[in-house]
Amino acid sequence: MRNKHPVWSGILLLIIGGVIGYGIGLGIEVLVTGVLNYSGSVPWAFALLFAVTAFFFGLYGYRGITRGLVWQVVGTMIGGFVITGIRAVMGLKVFGDFFFTEPAWVFGGIVGVISFIFGVGVVSDWMKWARGIETPEHHEDVPTWEKYFSVSMDHKVIGIQYTITALVLISVGGLFALIFRTELAQSQLQFLTTTFHLFNQNGPQIYNSLMSLHGIIMIISILLGVSGIMNYVVPLLLGAQDMAFPRMNAFAFWVAVPASVLLLMSLVLGGFDTGWTGYPPLSARAPVGVQMFFLGVFTAGWSSILGSLNILATVIRMRAKGMTAMRMPIFVWSAVATSIIALTATQLIGLSFQLVMFQRLFGMGFFDPSKGGNPVLFQHLFWFYSHPAVYVFVLPGLGVISELLPVFVRKPLFGYRWVAMSSLGIALVGFLVWAHHMFASGMNEYLRVPFMYSTLLVAVPTGVKFFSWVATMWGGKISTPTPMLFVLGAIVVFLMGGLSGPPNATVSTDLHLTDTYFIVGHFHDTIFGGFVFPFFAALYYWFPKATGRRMNEFWGKFHFWLMTPSFLVLTFGMMRIGLLGMRRRIVDYDPALGFDTTHLVLTIAGYLIGISVLIFFVNFFYSMKHGEKAEGNLWNSRSPEWQVPSPMPAHNYAIPFRVVGHPYDYGLPGSKYIEFISEPDYTHHEEIHPETKTH
Amino acid sequence: MIHVQDKKTMLNQGVLILVYLAVLSLIEYFVAIAFDAVPILIVVLLIKAVLVVYYYMHIYKLSLESHVEDEGSYEYKTGTNRLGLWLFLVSDSFVFAGLMVTRMNLLGLTRPPLNQALGLLITGVLLMSSFFMNRGETLMNNGDRKGYLRNIMITFVLGLVFLLGVVTVEWPTAIREGVTPSSGPYGAVFFMMTGMHAFHVITGLIFLMIVYLNARRGLYDQKNYPVEAAAVYWHFVDLVWIFYYPALYLIGALLTG
Repeated sequence: MRNKHPVWSGILLLIIGGVIGYGIGLGIEVLVTGVLNYSGSVPWAFALLFAVTAFFFGLYGYRGITRGLVWQVVGTMIGGFVITGIRAVMGLKVFGDFFFTEPAWVFGGIVGVISFIFGVGVVSDWMKWARGIETPEHHEDVPTWEKYFSVSMDHKVIGIQYTITALVLISVGGLFALIFRTELAQSQLQFLTTTFHLFNQNGPQIYNSLMSLHGIIMIISILLGVSGIMNYVVPLLLGAQDMAFPRMNAFAFWVAVPASVLLLMSLVLGGFDTGWTGYPPLSARAPVGVQMFFLGVFTAGWSSILGSLNILATVIRMRAKGMTAMRMPIFVWSAVATSIIALTATQLIGLSFQLVMFQRLFGMGFFDPSKGGNPVLFQHLFWFYSHPAVYVFVLPGLGVISELLPVFVRKPLFGYRWVAMSSLGIALVGFLVWAHHMFASGMNEYLRVPFMYSTLLVAVPTGVKFFSWVATMWGGKISTPTPMLFVLGAIVVFLMGGLSGPPNATVSTDLHLTDTYFIVGHFHDTIFGGFVFPFFAALYYWFPKATGRRMNEFWGKFHFWLMTPSFLVLTFGMMRIGLLGMRRRIVDYDPALGFDTTHLVLTIAGYLIGISVLIFFVNFFYSMKHGEKAEGNLWNSRSPEWQVPSPMPAHNYAIPFRVVGHPYDYGLPGSKYIEFISEPDYTHHEEIHPETKTH
Repeated sequence: MIHVQDKKTMLNQGVLILVYLAVLSLIEYFVAIAFDAVPILIVVLLIKAVLVVYYYMHIYKLSLESHVEDEGSYEYKTGTNRLGLWLFLVSDSFVFAGLMVTRMNLLGLTRPPLNQALGLLITGVLLMSSFFMNRGETLMNNGDRKGYLRNIMITFVLGLVFLLGVVTVEWPTAIREGVTPSSGPYGAVFFMMTGMHAFHVITGLIFLMIVYLNARRGLYDQKNYPVEAAAVYWHFVDLVWIFYYPALYLIGALLTG
């Protein structure tokens, strides 16, 4: 299907699909319950599913992602009705508050995810292999934008798919934040009042759901953003043709799409009021939305695990000739450190959520004290992933800083070995600190002090990085195009996050600060400094590599100078009222506390950040087509991907290179990092290209 | 140690490892029944685990093909696939470890009331299936397709017996004893651990079926990594049970009532 205005027909169908879905849902609910409830969950659930699917149908036709989404909707329905039928036969309650009963929704969600995977076609090669049919090693993509909407095995395409999905989720999560920030601008309830009803929830419940979803959607978007940058850049830095397992790479991306749909479904299915941490016993009795949240995180976790497995295998097996461990780019080192955490620890958040799911479904009392369970056990399992997870978020960002800094100061990176090892150091120490989230949880008291010291120990490898950055900049010829601005912003903001950390790690002060806005300010500083700023830096920096055009410099700088001060105001304001006793995760606060002015300032700052990101989006999508052409080595970098023309050709380097020097020897006369192997061995390529693989 | 050996040596080695594992399992069982000595059990299960990881899952193969230069060759890709599978198993073992932590946290040094004879029996069945898997793989590496098919079939049947033993005999037995999923921590932990393990057994059986059918179609003469992958995965399922059997049946005092 080809049409001239795919985006407009997509948006048109989005509206039509939403209306039709709403109508169908309303009809079904009336049939089942006999009550006409305009703000109920079922109409909105159908509206959401139909609208998203119809949008991609208009944009792209019935193939790729659209087919996946249609299959997911149908699969969810089939799974739900199967369980509903079984329940009817067994004489159990057939329909619940949200049309299906909880087990039916959970099973439907699982079937939906599997259906999506088959519908989008990302497992078709594996299915053929299982039947003993060989498939070609590479699949050629169509050269247009359409390749981004269906399964591709090119790591560059997958990297961009990840990045765009991450940007979409960032805007959804940011939108949620703006909604509840608006409510918080003044004490008392203004629009999220108890008389407000939507999705079977009243105003404060909507606040809780949005607050919880802001957390988890941002986390998933960060994971996808991290994967996006790593996917795009790591094979290029290594000189590899592709990732080690291209099909699994595609699978890891595509499994994140139904996961995102499940997370959005949780909002309309009654939401959940647990925060993204989902602690039982609260999560054991939250509405059915919490199950969709668990399933969504569980599914997204597979994306993270398989993606990091792929990165590790690629780095170990597919480096260019001569690229020994101590000649690898720092970004690759940080990708390795990140992947070690994501590969192993992610299983534990999946397990902890799975145990709560089973507790709700089968009455297995893992975390139910009345059945001999232990709620604190959940927190141990959960934080065993969720603390190292913050290093998954920030390590690639810190890698981007170390990678870009020498380019823009024209000096060698200071202390390469120490910086490389500090990433691994952070990753390993990160496994030993999880219980600092639980100082106030009632866990065994003798655990507090060891975890306090291990947490403070993280400052050592992180400090190594800071010293390296400062020493790299010292006496350099600093130029400040947009990527460099974001690198510098990242260093400053991450420093603020780092300095506000030890008060939380120290038991005596943490008992006062726990669950206050101080914590909120602290982790927004670390995540913005460790992920968001470097992410933007990476986007501005590698955008010309992906598109052959550069983003507008003026609007890029405008984005930076609007976002950075607003953001610092936001987090410092949060820390201020946090110190004075403002609790986090609550919809309202006492006017007598005197926080109204600060909260208003925070809300304004939040909106300014939103506007700056909107400017970024316009710049990003406009520059793809209309940006200034930049096909050469725009930043004058030594890195191999900049030594070939942009945009990057489909199979990366036509002529392989070998590494002959150190990656960051900027400004040292006569130094060389790579040299292309002068007589390309094309016979080799022709030999492996038609060859097939049986795995 | 020389790793690439002739067929006869490899087959004998498999038998020897089976004998070791069987003897160690029996020692484990009688130690637990007679002395309640947890440190001995841990030592024994670690020895069993090392035997399986080294001789059945041949972890040493990870370093075998490092001399292969041509990155397009099947040997090099097999090395990459092997690494990928092991990374996956490392990741997967964190789930099982997490369940083990859950068990230790909730049950401590007590164990659920389960049928000991049944537990020993299904443990033996799974151990035997690992032995036949190893035998089948060795035969395939030496070009004996018929022997391979026969052994893989035996492995599959034993695996199925284990699965049915757990799901259709052990579970109802436990429920009759009052250990149901919702009855308390014993039931919750028992059904979760055996259930997660059984799920992996099911996936392992699917992989076995795939390599069986494809071998019958005549594949895997040269490109026989899938056989090895299915074998390593199957032994991993056995490896998990090496930890879970003592955790559920042997360690700790039996609480009645």
